Amino acid sequence: MNTAPAASLPESARDANASLRRAISETRRRNAGKVRLAGLQGAGEPWQWCLGGALALGILMVLGLLLLVFWNGLVTFWPRPIEQVRLHDGTVVAGEPVRSQTFRPGQEVLAALDPAPRSGIERNDGMAARTLYRTGNYDLYGDDFRWLPDYEIAEVSRPWDLMLVERMEWGVFVGRIVAISSGGQRAPVGDVRSPDLIKRHEEARRRWQSIRALERGEIGAVNHRLEQERLRLRRASLANPEGGTALDAARQRFAEREAALKAQHQVLADRASGMRRAHEGDLVVLADAAGREKEMPLGAIVRFYPANDLSLAERLGVYLSRWGEFLLDEPREANTEGGVMPAIFGTFAMTLLLVLVVTPFGVITALYLREYARQGRLVSIVRISVNNLAGVPSIVYGVFGLGFFAYILGGSIDQIFFPERLPNPTYGTGGLLWASLTLALLTVPVVIVATEEALAAVPRSMREGSLACGASKWQTIRNIVLPRAMPGIMTGVILAMARGAGEVAPLMLVGVVKLAPELPIDGYFPFVHLERSFMHLGFHIFDVGFQSRNSEAGKPMVFVTTLLLIALIFAMNVSAILLRNRLKRRFQGSQF
Amino acid sequence: MDAADAPRTARPSGITRRVRETRRSVLIADRVADWTIRIGGIFVIIAVATILVFLTQVVVPLFTGARVVGQHAFAVAGMERGPLSAVIDEDRTIGAVLLRDGSVSAFHLQTGTPLAAEPLALNGAVVTAFGSSLNREQILLGFADGTIRLGTMRFTAEVITPDRLPPDLRRLNERDRTDGRSVYSRIPGNQYRKVDVVVRADAPQKISESAIRLADYRVAGTVERPTRSFATVDAARTIRLSRAESRVNMLTRQVRTAVATTTLPPVPPGVEISAVLLTEQADSVLAGTAEGRVFRYDTRSFTAPRLAEEARLLEAGERLSALSYLIGEQSVVAMGSRGTTDVFFLLERPGSDSADGKRLVRAHIMDRHADGVGAISISQRGKVFATADARGNVWLRHSTSNRTLLALEKGGEAETYAALALAPRNDAIVAIAGNGRASAWNLSVPHPETTLGTIFGRVWYEGYQEPGFTWQSSAATDSFEPKLSLVPLIFGTLKATFYALLFAVPVALLAAIFTSEFVHPRVRAVVKPAMEMMASLPSVVLGFVAALILAPIVEDWIAAVLMVFLAVPLSLLAAAYAWMYLPRSLSLRYGGLPKFALMFVALGLGFLACVALGGALERIVFAGDIRSWLDGQIGSGFGFTTLLCLPITTLAAALVGNRLMVPLDEALGPRSHGVVATVTLLRWLVILVAGLVGALGLSALLMGLGYDPRGGMVGTYVQRNTLVVGFAMGFAVIPIIYTIAEDALSAVPEHLRAASLGCGATNWQTAMRVILPTAMSGVFAAVMVGMGRAVGETMIVVMAAGNTPILDWNVFNGLRALSANIAVELPEAVRDGTLYRMLFLSALTLFAITFVINTVAELIRLRFRKRAASL
Repeated sequence: MNTAPAASLPESARDANASLRRAISETRRRNAGKVRLAGLQGAGEPWQWCLGGALALGILMVLGLLLLVFWNGLVTFWPRPIEQVRLHDGTVVAGEPVRSQTFRPGQEVLAALDPAPRSGIERNDGMAARTLYRTGNYDLYGDDFRWLPDYEIAEVSRPWDLMLVERMEWGVFVGRIVAISSGGQRAPVGDVRSPDLIKRHEEARRRWQSIRALERGEIGAVNHRLEQERLRLRRASLANPEGGTALDAARQRFAEREAALKAQHQVLADRASGMRRAHEGDLVVLADAAGREKEMPLGAIVRFYPANDLSLAERLGVYLSRWGEFLLDEPREANTEGGVMPAIFGTFAMTLLLVLVVTPFGVITALYLREYARQGRLVSIVRISVNNLAGVPSIVYGVFGLGFFAYILGGSIDQIFFPERLPNPTYGTGGLLWASLTLALLTVPVVIVATEEALAAVPRSMREGSLACGASKWQTIRNIVLPRAMPGIMTGVILAMARGAGEVAPLMLVGVVKLAPELPIDGYFPFVHLERSFMHLGFHIFDVGFQSRNSEAGKPMVFVTTLLLIALIFAMNVSAILLRNRLKRRFQGSQF
Repeated sequence: MDAADAPRTARPSGITRRVRETRRSVLIADRVADWTIRIGGIFVIIAVATILVFLTQVVVPLFTGARVVGQHAFAVAGMERGPLSAVIDEDRTIGAVLLRDGSVSAFHLQTGTPLAAEPLALNGAVVTAFGSSLNREQILLGFADGTIRLGTMRFTAEVITPDRLPPDLRRLNERDRTDGRSVYSRIPGNQYRKVDVVVRADAPQKISESAIRLADYRVAGTVERPTRSFATVDAARTIRLSRAESRVNMLTRQVRTAVATTTLPPVPPGVEISAVLLTEQADSVLAGTAEGRVFRYDTRSFTAPRLAEEARLLEAGERLSALSYLIGEQSVVAMGSRGTTDVFFLLERPGSDSADGKRLVRAHIMDRHADGVGAISISQRGKVFATADARGNVWLRHSTSNRTLLALEKGGEAETYAALALAPRNDAIVAIAGNGRASAWNLSVPHPETTLGTIFGRVWYEGYQEPGFTWQSSAATDSFEPKLSLVPLIFGTLKATFYALLFAVPVALLAAIFTSEFVHPRVRAVVKPAMEMMASLPSVVLGFVAALILAPIVEDWIAAVLMVFLAVPLSLLAAAYAWMYLPRSLSLRYGGLPKFALMFVALGLGFLACVALGGALERIVFAGDIRSWLDGQIGSGFGFTTLLCLPITTLAAALVGNRLMVPLDEALGPRSHGVVATVTLLRWLVILVAGLVGALGLSALLMGLGYDPRGGMVGTYVQRNTLVVGFAMGFAVIPIIYTIAEDALSAVPEHLRAASLGCGATNWQTAMRVILPTAMSGVFAAVMVGMGRAVGETMIVVMAAGNTPILDWNVFNGLRALSANIAVELPEAVRDGTLYRMLFLSALTLFAITFVINTVAELIRLRFRKRAASL
């Protein structure tokens, strides 16, 4: 446009052209910094904000959830102060304040109130505040928690000598330690930190632990052997005809063994009951804030501390010791207290078994589909199906696992190998093995898809190079293809692990229980018991949150378990990403 | 690669060629690997296919109905003396017929071998009336002198060890031996079961002056303190209801039976009573007349019984041939001389002319026999019963599913059966003709109650006012009939999916478009993996948070939560219009992260507004108390309908506003930035006001038409509700939809984007007109995959959905999804039982739904990929 006009143009035209140019530049100058409506509208600003708002909402939701879980999970074990509340009617209650809220008191409650608080409530639109206290002392009150409305409270204090006592049974106790008594002699406890009390508590705990070790270990071993003998006799009676010599011999042998084992059992049981008597004779006298006393064995107390009189270091000590108990100990109180060690172990064992199964099968299938099968319509149908199986609901796999693995496969195994235990199922019910196999079936598409993608990403030239050098097909796969595909395969396996570890619904059908009496690995032959049911962190969350007597009491535990599970799964995911990046880097140098 | 394996290249100077061979180990390894991988691969593919096959194989028996396993004919002695009742024991060992003279004709069921049995000593009297409890164990005998005798006819079974087996047993068949009286059956565990039939009767009790013609007998209460009741009709057509109470004298151990009798109001003269029925609680007596009518007496008051209803059960002209209760005493089967077999329920029918407000309602019309129905035998478990007609056809039927399970073939020529017995486990029928010819069938009827019709259609269950879709798999009592309709569960799944997607799809898609088109790649590199990681968050965590944290909060803040849908978009839009006031230089400079941060601020302000204005919304729209409003107690639906109409009318207003865009632009011409921004803002405000006015008008119109949103999409509030589930499940599917949609959008070739921007289109125009249409099928596939995930999601619905199997669109009510139902009920289901198979059918249904959805998504995605590659 701005190029020189053709010289052949007449003068008048040249003038007109110049005036036009002037007019345009004039308009431009006039409109400098001005915009048109359509121009502003075209940026779609309002829509952009809606899009961005949606993304922001998603991020906020994610962060909010993670923050909620992390914060609640982290503060759960931190020792909180205990408040002693005196009510207007003279009752004294003590407990940890949990949370506050506003509520609308009923008409009859309002009518019974003094005029002063009533007018306060009426000014506030009929709303009043109340606080939830964790009062503990379930054995005395029949409840762990209590709502206290503000208008009932006369005075709140934090006495230094209030103790929080964690017990083996009945949940926590909030109150004071009055005395310790052994052999009927009561010795008052003056100082909550008296070394005598601490020493005797440690002794009592040690004794209790040795009782447990004796009952679980030695008595358990004798019982186990007795059971083995019984099963041996039963097997003999199933295999041999009635009245035969073989059966008589087996009976003879059983009688001898039984007598010997029963004698052993008697000795051990006497020892245990002696220790139990000592345990039950060594008592501690507790009193709640109002002075009601409660006597219990000193050894049944897990931990106690003066909640309002702790230094930071002591608080940290309690905090860490609770985390230690959580990670290493067994659950108590219908899973709402104590540790989750069996659940961690169960989750770990199941995931390990899952990986052992899923990796070879997933990789072999992918190799078959990518390297061996003739690429045609059939293989692409199979590929689509495998892709889709990743989207089939996990509960369907659970149903299959129960019906096929547990009932049919397990039932047949029982018939053939464990007839002496029938009608009690051994493999014919949910268990660790079936749970792992079910989840392996559930996650095998993940591994297949990831491995196939990794195999496809290996350049054709490398394969051809290897083959051209005279390597066989398997040599090529083993030495050229698989190492290069390894990052992708590892990623797939770890993603499968993460998915398997977080799945709960199918496990509810194939072997997860709320409380497993025995771990899948123990000291009895054959040491690994794949048929046993097990505990699982995800199911623990469901169980404690929904099936315990008081979901409020279980909530802190649920948060900590959730934190643990999320941490576990995120750790797996992050390690998958890191591993992928590292292995990728290994091959970057050798790129052609 | 091992150096040794590689074939060495010949030296260029070499003249001789050496023959080289591949080492055997290499060949073997190659062969082994080849086979392992082939077999392994095919094995895994087969294993995966096995799932489908296995599930189907478990489900199929649900629909196979019944089949005959074996059939044989034999003769039974003494039938000419008149049979009263025929019975079969639990294990199909013995059949026995009680005859009018008190003798018992017993036989081995599988071979027909006659067995001896102790007769009742009636001293020559002949039974004129017979009544029995529904299981035929408790019997009542009426005599011509107006006396009755109560008694029992039952089988005793005793397990004995082989060494206690009597000598000289005669072999009957594979399993059974006999000593001529008892039958000894071999059972697993090398033991024997001894089965006998024992008949016993108490002393006579005088009831009437004339002969007893008809009787029915029930025993209720505990074994120690039974309450025996019986209804009798004598030759004078007097209907009596009697109660016998037995007391044991503690000192003498003597049993004294006291009988109290009351007379029911008489039937009109000339009516011939042909059947009488009594309930176990003796609170109702039915007297059927020969011409097909029934008189129902309300006998809840023993001293003052009254006639409650007179109903016609059969068409005029058809004679009533039998009347019977089914187990549970809620269904009455009326059979006629023309083969009619109808099932009636006693239901509350307000406004009916009966004395107690109830009526006998014809609920199931069963297939008609070709001839009059002569005999009926009901099952002890479930609503199965067998009928025999005058031509000798024996049919096995199921009342609830309204079908004939089996039409049994006759053993010989046409004959009328005088006695019919269905075995207690529904696994055998014996039919005996008057001349002693007997036919016995062994049956297999595993799941009589399930058909495609009962699972997916409306079924009229006992005690229900009308046919409906019900899922109720277990209850406390034995006579309970499981109600297994999958419809409420499928509905629950779809409802949860619908509300979850309603929330998830807009958020996920908008966020995906923004991520792929408007944010800096560095932000995207952080945001996208973070969202992807959320996809692996265990759903049990989401369920827990939804049920225990979110549900109580939502319950306290319902109005504020509803406000979110209004306030958050408005605050974002308001922020956008405010942003437009920024001069171009500033908006370009801060268009990246600062703008994104401002979006968070706007979002936060929106939420604050929700909390602040929730109360106001509750006052204005929900009459001050949203719970009562939802219950329908207070307020009108006007405000809420307006809110529902608001998006539609605003959209319409915006469309009209866009039409006016070009003329407005022409009229305005180029102006300074501030003026144009103001005009834009004003335009928006006008659209909003127009939308509001339109919504008010539309709502008023709907109100005028009598529309009320309550009872439809909203209704009574329950704490664990679909809103919470939708939110939590949305949370679970947002990352999936987001990731796949974002991938699809990013896969659009860069040159399309560059071309569009080069032509002068803005980012927004490029995104909407070029990128989104190109990536549309990929985006659609993302939604489908998200839907598949939502359909199968289990833990969230188990924990947060309340698990109530109802058909109700109300977003504030709970639901029960297929997946949750499986998780909750399968651990308790008996292996290979009907419930077990039904739950497998649920799993198969889920499998099918998700497989179809995923396949469609996959095909669309493949197509999209091909298209994107060709662009």
